[in-house]
Amino acid sequence: MLDGDEKAFRTLYRRHTPRLYQFTLRILAGREHDAEDVVQETWIRATEKLDRFRWESGLGTWLAGIALNLCRALFRRQDEKWLELREDLTVPVNGAEGLQRIDLESALSRLPPGYRTVLVLHDVEGFTHEEIGRRLEVSANTSKSQLFHARRALRKLLTPSGHRGART
Amino acid sequence: MTSDESTELNPRERAEFEALPRERMPGRLLEERTVRSLRARGLLKRHSWTGVRVPWLAAGLAASLALFASGVAVGQWLGSSTVANSLATAQQETAMQAAAAVQRAGSAYVTALMAFAAISDSTGDGAYMQGREAALNALYAAAYEMVQIDPTDPVAVTIREGLEQARLRWRQPSDTAIQRVVWF
Repeated sequence: MLDGDEKAFRTLYRRHTPRLYQFTLRILAGREHDAEDVVQETWIRATEKLDRFRWESGLGTWLAGIALNLCRALFRRQDEKWLELREDLTVPVNGAEGLQRIDLESALSRLPPGYRTVLVLHDVEGFTHEEIGRRLEVSANTSKSQLFHARRALRKLLTPSGHRGART
Repeated sequence: MTSDESTELNPRERAEFEALPRERMPGRLLEERTVRSLRARGLLKRHSWTGVRVPWLAAGLAASLALFASGVAVGQWLGSSTVANSLATAQQETAMQAAAAVQRAGSAYVTALMAFAAISDSTGDGAYMQGREAALNALYAAAYEMVQIDPTDPVAVTIREGLEQARLRWRQPSDTAIQRVVWF
């Protein structure tokens, strides 16, 4: 489709990047530099594999899948067990900020990566647990458990009294 | 987000999630960075220049180089810091501002070269040589930067190589005074 046509690429880039960037930025807890790197690498991989792309699914969804895999690789480099459930996990909250209500975006960024990823995929992007399971290579039940704990942690972060740290 | 025990989102929570922005523009340099990476991997071709003859393209590029280089050289040669300051500032600002600084510098260089050409007959030989080498060095510096921007651009590479040879021919052992002039 692109056939190396720069103009066609720029058109696709401008149409899909704003959504892709916001999605990536949210998964990466607002780390702009990392998100830009992921978006760039996503386009490189997508262009390399474009001949294998089956157009029955949306290009945006396909791009998000590539970006998600890159984010997962980034998380794995930081913590091999990033997606494991941790019952005793404490979500850090700064003392001063804990006294006042923080917004949803800030709260999402403070969740552990595993919780945040499932929450964003399910509650923001609208994926089902089966779809999340396939994308994260876990079972649908693991996705459900993650979502349960993620929502609980998020609610504590969003409640002013949760300033000592949200224990899940 | 208040229903602590419920696993399902309540209507208010759902509304908060729905209100989150779905799109955001990254820094505008990301597009250029991505395009450059794709070009470097051979996944994108440059814009088609069908119908534009190579000599015209080379002439256009040479003119662009001269425009850029002129500003730098004359700024240095005349002892004025205006152009250099503009360029230094441009490095910290946006691409559009940097491009505007290049344009201003180029115009200044060409104007100064025209003035130099007009008065060079009436000046001493040393000053003429000094001015000419300053202009040549600036042109070379600009060609060098153009190659840095895109090392695969054959036209920029050819111009730089041509200028390298010209500089070697121009610089002679007895020209020590000239060699103190402008180096980038």
